[in-house]
Amino acid sequence: MNQEHLAEAKSLLTAFPGKSSALIPILHLVEDEFGYIPQEEVDAVAGLMGVTAAYVEAVLSFYTLFHRQPTGKYLIQVCRGLSCHLRGADRLARFLYEELGVQRGGTTDDGLFTVEEVECLALCKDAPVVQVNLEYRPRATQEELGRLIAESRQEVARHA
Amino acid sequence: MPETRLLFKHIDVPGIDGIEVYERAGGYRSLRKAVREMSPDDVVREVMTSNLRGRGGAGFPTGRKWSFLPKDGRTRYLVCNGDESEPGTCKDQEIIYRHPHLLIEGVLTSAYAIGAEQAFIYLRGEFKGGYLTLRRAIAEARAKGYLGDDVLGSGRRIDIRLYLGAGAYICGEETAQLESLEGRRGMPRLKPPFPATAGLYGMPTVVNNVETLAAVVPIVEMGGQEYAKLGTKESAGTKLFSVSGNVRRPGNYEVELGKVTMGELLHDLAGGPPEGRRFKAVIPGGSSVPFLPPDKFDTPLDYESLRAAGTMLGSGGVIVLDDQASIVDASLRLMEFYRHESCGKCTPCREGTMWLEQALGRIVSGEGRQGDLKTIEGLIAHIDGQTFCPLGDAAIAALGSALRLFRGEFEERIATPQRQLAEVAQ
Repeated sequence: MNQEHLAEAKSLLTAFPGKSSALIPILHLVEDEFGYIPQEEVDAVAGLMGVTAAYVEAVLSFYTLFHRQPTGKYLIQVCRGLSCHLRGADRLARFLYEELGVQRGGTTDDGLFTVEEVECLALCKDAPVVQVNLEYRPRATQEELGRLIAESRQEVARHA
Repeated sequence: MPETRLLFKHIDVPGIDGIEVYERAGGYRSLRKAVREMSPDDVVREVMTSNLRGRGGAGFPTGRKWSFLPKDGRTRYLVCNGDESEPGTCKDQEIIYRHPHLLIEGVLTSAYAIGAEQAFIYLRGEFKGGYLTLRRAIAEARAKGYLGDDVLGSGRRIDIRLYLGAGAYICGEETAQLESLEGRRGMPRLKPPFPATAGLYGMPTVVNNVETLAAVVPIVEMGGQEYAKLGTKESAGTKLFSVSGNVRRPGNYEVELGKVTMGELLHDLAGGPPEGRRFKAVIPGGSSVPFLPPDKFDTPLDYESLRAAGTMLGSGGVIVLDDQASIVDASLRLMEFYRHESCGKCTPCREGTMWLEQALGRIVSGEGRQGDLKTIEGLIAHIDGQTFCPLGDAAIAALGSALRLFRGEFEERIATPQRQLAEVAQ
């Protein structure tokens, strides 16, 4: 972890009535920084918490927002809840796979995009719903997602 | 049929997510009234009198839940369940993202009532935006003295800590949520002991849904007796219904319980079916309850009436299917969800949802066998009432009713060879 995250992680150890509660917030810091939970960080977090690496892995493997493989700069999560399913979520996901040339859960070769299909995102009234880096895109359309992909590519090219 | 807005009364006021606008709209008056003019027991009594029932899905009387806390001087905790993950349900999301101070006021007022100095708001990991919104709103409320070491000069300490989950439906179950909050895998605990006696860190704990705690604000404002006059005798007050799927105006609608029928909700508020379509069925209470067919759309929306009609009010997540939607496909989609979300702790749920997914997957892909429906019914019987927590029963509720109400659709799909299905898909 970087210095800022490490300081925050240390302060989390005493932020709750029980130290054990710090684990998931600390794992969020790692996921935010790396886009996944690298093995060295599992060991580092275990050391910080005073538990075994196996324990940390047992916890993080339970939760879908923690990844063990690197994810793209943009994590695109297509909701496949029933309400979104009824309003074209499957077509939206297929569009993304074709547009980006990846399979479900895959990351583009340039490391920019990861596409996942996820369970209900709790915005059923605005189906079909997509989250990009956990920000909602209500009533998502192919056109909008296509634009978003193009803009993200340009944005990254500009900073390259 | 109009809405009756208590929770959503001010939700469309521009800037209501900021504390100044919220205060001008009468915000934090209930907290002030509770702390300045009422004892904690007075507040509990008002909530008892209001007949408020838990809005997360189970419908357990909130005042009764609070009364189970032992009076033994131990530290007590309040946990606000903001894990909203029940498919079809998006009401808490709207409160959290658009009306954060209403939730904060509800949490603080309820924490005062039950004597908790520390409250937690557990948000599902995907509510990152809501987390940031609440964090800012809590800072505003703290600056105004509504929470912290000396709430409104009363000398009482009440604080709120936000906690972000990381993606797991089961963490909406209250004991799984406590496990997750303590930094473990979100697997349900054995009950008893119930959280009221041994909850978070083993201490007496109340876990209440977002909408439930938000409802405490109007209850304290208007008094429990006035609140109880809304709705029916057993289903008091207003309830948020999330309408989604095949309707013209999907949305969250707040109505008086028992005063509006399913048909009125779907037609008058949600705008009816899409052009040229007809309704086939709805799942009225989030995906974990049985289907309700159109011939029962005259059922009033309250806990008792929906139960009498063979289903449940649940979370109020109304998923609408029109005549173009396939019940078989929907059943598979739901079973994939429950299989994915089963925590794996007990066998009937872990294995049962997997086998059900496989059998339904066969049928959907045109490889269904004669006898598959019998197999499915056998699996349902082995899950029904046999699992450690409610997830097992939740997984089979819609499927069981689909087999009763729409058996022909399943039989037809099994009888149609794969080749023909492929042609239809073209």
